[in-house]
Amino acid sequence: MADTMGEPILEVSGLVKHYPLTRGVLLRKQVGAVRAVDGVDFTLAKGETLGIVGESGCGKSTLARLVVNLEKPTAGSITYRGEDITKLSARALKAVRRNIQMVFQDPYTSLNPRMTVGDIVGEPYEIHPDAAPKGDRRRRVRELLDVVGLNPEHVNRYPHQFSGGQRQRIGIARGLALRPEIIVADEPVSALDVSVQAQVVNLMERLQGEFGLSYVVIAHDLSIVRHISDRVAVMYLGRIVETGRDTEIYDHATHPYTQALLSAVPVPDPGAREHRERIILSGDVPSPTAVPSGCRFRPRCWKARERCETEVPALAVPAGLRYAAGPARHDSACLFAQERHEEHAYGPK
Amino acid sequence: MPEPQHLEPPPYVPGGTPELGPADAEVLRTGPGGRGPGGTGPGGTGAGGPDPTGGPSAVPSAAPEERVRSLWSDAWHDLRRNPVFLVSALVILFLVLIALWPQLIAPGNPLDCDLAKAQQGSGPGHPFGFNGQGCDVYTRTVHGARTSVTVGVCATLGVAVLGSVLGGLAGFFGGVWDAILSRVTDVFFAIPVVLGGLVLLSVVTSSTVWPVIGFMVLLGWPQISRIARGSVITARQNDYVQAARALGASPMRILLRHIAPNAIAPVIVVATIALGTYIALEATLSYLGVGLKPPSVSWGIDISAASPYIRNAPHALLWPSGALAVTVLAFIMLGDAVRDALDPKLR
Amino acid sequence: MLLEVRDLHVEFRTRDGVARAVNGVSYGVDAGETLAVLGESGSGKSVTAQAIMGILDSPPGRITGGEILFQGRDLLKLKEEQRRRVRGAEMAMIFQDALSALNPVLPVGDQLGEMFVVHRGMSRKDARTKAVELMDRVRIPGAAARVRDYPHQFSGGMRQRIMIAMALALEPALIIADEPTTALDVTVQAQVMDLLAELQRELTMGLVLITHDLGVVADVADRIAVMYAGRIVESAPVHDLYKAPAHPYTRGLLDSIPRLDHKGRELYAIKGLPPSLMDIPPGCAFHPRCTAARDLCRTDVPPLHEVPGERGSACHFWKECLHG
Repeated sequence: MADTMGEPILEVSGLVKHYPLTRGVLLRKQVGAVRAVDGVDFTLAKGETLGIVGESGCGKSTLARLVVNLEKPTAGSITYRGEDITKLSARALKAVRRNIQMVFQDPYTSLNPRMTVGDIVGEPYEIHPDAAPKGDRRRRVRELLDVVGLNPEHVNRYPHQFSGGQRQRIGIARGLALRPEIIVADEPVSALDVSVQAQVVNLMERLQGEFGLSYVVIAHDLSIVRHISDRVAVMYLGRIVETGRDTEIYDHATHPYTQALLSAVPVPDPGAREHRERIILSGDVPSPTAVPSGCRFRPRCWKARERCETEVPALAVPAGLRYAAGPARHDSACLFAQERHEEHAYGPK
Repeated sequence: MPEPQHLEPPPYVPGGTPELGPADAEVLRTGPGGRGPGGTGPGGTGAGGPDPTGGPSAVPSAAPEERVRSLWSDAWHDLRRNPVFLVSALVILFLVLIALWPQLIAPGNPLDCDLAKAQQGSGPGHPFGFNGQGCDVYTRTVHGARTSVTVGVCATLGVAVLGSVLGGLAGFFGGVWDAILSRVTDVFFAIPVVLGGLVLLSVVTSSTVWPVIGFMVLLGWPQISRIARGSVITARQNDYVQAARALGASPMRILLRHIAPNAIAPVIVVATIALGTYIALEATLSYLGVGLKPPSVSWGIDISAASPYIRNAPHALLWPSGALAVTVLAFIMLGDAVRDALDPKLR
Repeated sequence: MLLEVRDLHVEFRTRDGVARAVNGVSYGVDAGETLAVLGESGSGKSVTAQAIMGILDSPPGRITGGEILFQGRDLLKLKEEQRRRVRGAEMAMIFQDALSALNPVLPVGDQLGEMFVVHRGMSRKDARTKAVELMDRVRIPGAAARVRDYPHQFSGGMRQRIMIAMALALEPALIIADEPTTALDVTVQAQVMDLLAELQRELTMGLVLITHDLGVVADVADRIAVMYAGRIVESAPVHDLYKAPAHPYTRGLLDSIPRLDHKGRELYAIKGLPPSLMDIPPGCAFHPRCTAARDLCRTDVPPLHEVPGERGSACHFWKECLHG
């Protein structure tokens, strides 16, 4: 389905990130591992927005950091325009970084409090001097501030003089400075006030059109992800459990976890509470240090059977839905994948 | 902090909380996101209407701020207007002057003593009186500045530089070197200062202040190193450091541009407070006979020499201690002013 | 009315001036009723709650006017000693961040039991039995075994359950929950909200739910009060408010929720930022951001007009908004 969007520019395959758990001070001994990301594959097409949703601890933020190369993966590859960027030399990596930028969640810690806004937005040009001639940088910074809807006269101010929404715009301007092709946004609006969130979402959408950006948007807010994404991937405990176009996931989810997640979201419509049948999952997400055997969702799943304990379901079109026509036919890592006909927050009304 | 920071749970937007400074209110008024009172006419933008982010046309023209500003230029601009900085800088300048040319204000010889005048109070030509050996306290206090200020400033600088470089690098790079450094600092912390001084300095024959300073740096750096390591680790975890890495910034750039300015405040505070301790430590070592040898003059030597006579001749103790207190205070004030100037939030 | 707040005013005096955090807030809760107080950061929703509980940081906070009637008594006239007896026993609070609200060096059982030792004078042993009972009640699996565990050994959802258990310990008549599920994941949030609603029904307590999430409000609240810049701008039964808001701010909030039929289009966004509490705009505080503002709005502070159906709206032009 993604191929309708255009050529793939980013391909992630078999991505794994394990953080070793060690004991001892000088003589370290590995006693286990946090399996933060445990085998993730996806592709991103030019001009597309891929939304990644999941609860805390599912590894979505680690995945974001891997994609922008802030962390080295334990295994797997990230291919950008035919090149595996996990194996590049420092110099080649620096060149790739110009094309893959990141927008952070917390606008209060993502801007250096001791730098002026001009210095923050202009820093990319100092790191990559060939991106803009020296005399031109100040003008470009002002232009960028204007593009993200800030007053260009405020270049000499410090981050604390701005509100959260304005700071997030500064962070976006910094990310845009090098004219990247891909922007990875990790919870770009979750730290903002409700009335300001929509402003930032609109800005991101406008910029996508203006600059031909591809986005990987990581969020836990399902409604915002649905609004901006072309495709959605649902993560659980380090893996993608279901992926497809936005309607396939939101209206025709076949993985029990996705169904539970969607049904748990509170609906901003008091009329819905009487006739809505919610799936309330028991228990918490297991620790990524002790991942259950077989299907990871098994201990919390109401559909789990014996087979789920031994067989690891692959992320593919499930056998039972292989011949189904329509949107239920999409990748879902469940042995007993099936649609559930129930109204939820962001489904059809 | 008494400000009502906990008004609302995070996430928070300064636009709406009382800890907001006047500058923020200004942003609200002139910022493109927040049009101030009267910024929108009744016929303004319709519901669901055009760009709520405020296009360029909506940007009101504030006074042009053409000059390119940076943290350092802003800090200097701030310092020049800060009375605390000016006063402390003047005191320190004066100390440096008399350290270099004590003759300017005290033409006498500090070693010119007359036991007959021992413990006498102030008299004409001898405003501070005489000490237990019959030496002129005024002359000795002025001439002692050289040694004491040299010891204090050099030891502090040495400790601060060595400690923050080692601690900062260990905190930044982590791993094995960090583990080794942490153990080494533990070892140094375990050395008792006085005992260490007795052992190490007793083998030195030089009569200059440098062995003493060297000894202080050797034992003092772990204190700063620990603090620097901690604050570098705190600063390193901020997202802006990740953002710089994602832009391809070199470790050197990250360390100097992003981490150092945000991690230096506690180092400045502890180092300026330690300055006084070093001046006093010199006195202790000299008193034990392993610091400076008798012909040299220093506040520390005078303070320890005068302390047994505190009841009979308090003035002999008071003046050198007063000079020490003023010096320490000046450096602490200077450190505070510099630290505040480097924090844009306090402007 | 179990709790009635009348014309409450709270100020914060800071170095930079006076922040008027709450400017004449009135609301009431009946036993067994859930009132949702909705607002963004800086709207004064949490400050109001702190004033009711009597845990306002003062200085710099100061209550400068109004009454807080709880079961007929004005709490603001009580002595601190009497106030302390009300707090915990008759009204209790649940905080957003359960990890920092629990003492990390005490086993949770001891912290739960503390309530009984202090307020009921029970022995330590009986208090521990009570603690296990409470943990069972909030459905913590294996309560008897976990009573000696420390807060960090519990997951976020379980810690929030312990907070709820603590609040319920003495069966208070009123619970104030300040963003109780904001820090939790959606699937856990659903569990905790369900539990809270069920216990409230069982004990017919009044519940003041402070939140910024329109979804949570719709799920559990009976009535809703929307706050903006320290005032209530709209109050209504929850069904009516979602169907037809009577204040432009409420309308803007509801419209900015992404909806299916808006996909691909620009989201509606309220322009601008919430005002600084040091510098609240004259007239209606919302007028600089309001699309329907007129001259009157710039000069006159709108009172909370009565709207048919037990509703109120602080908009001069509420009729247009309601029917627009």
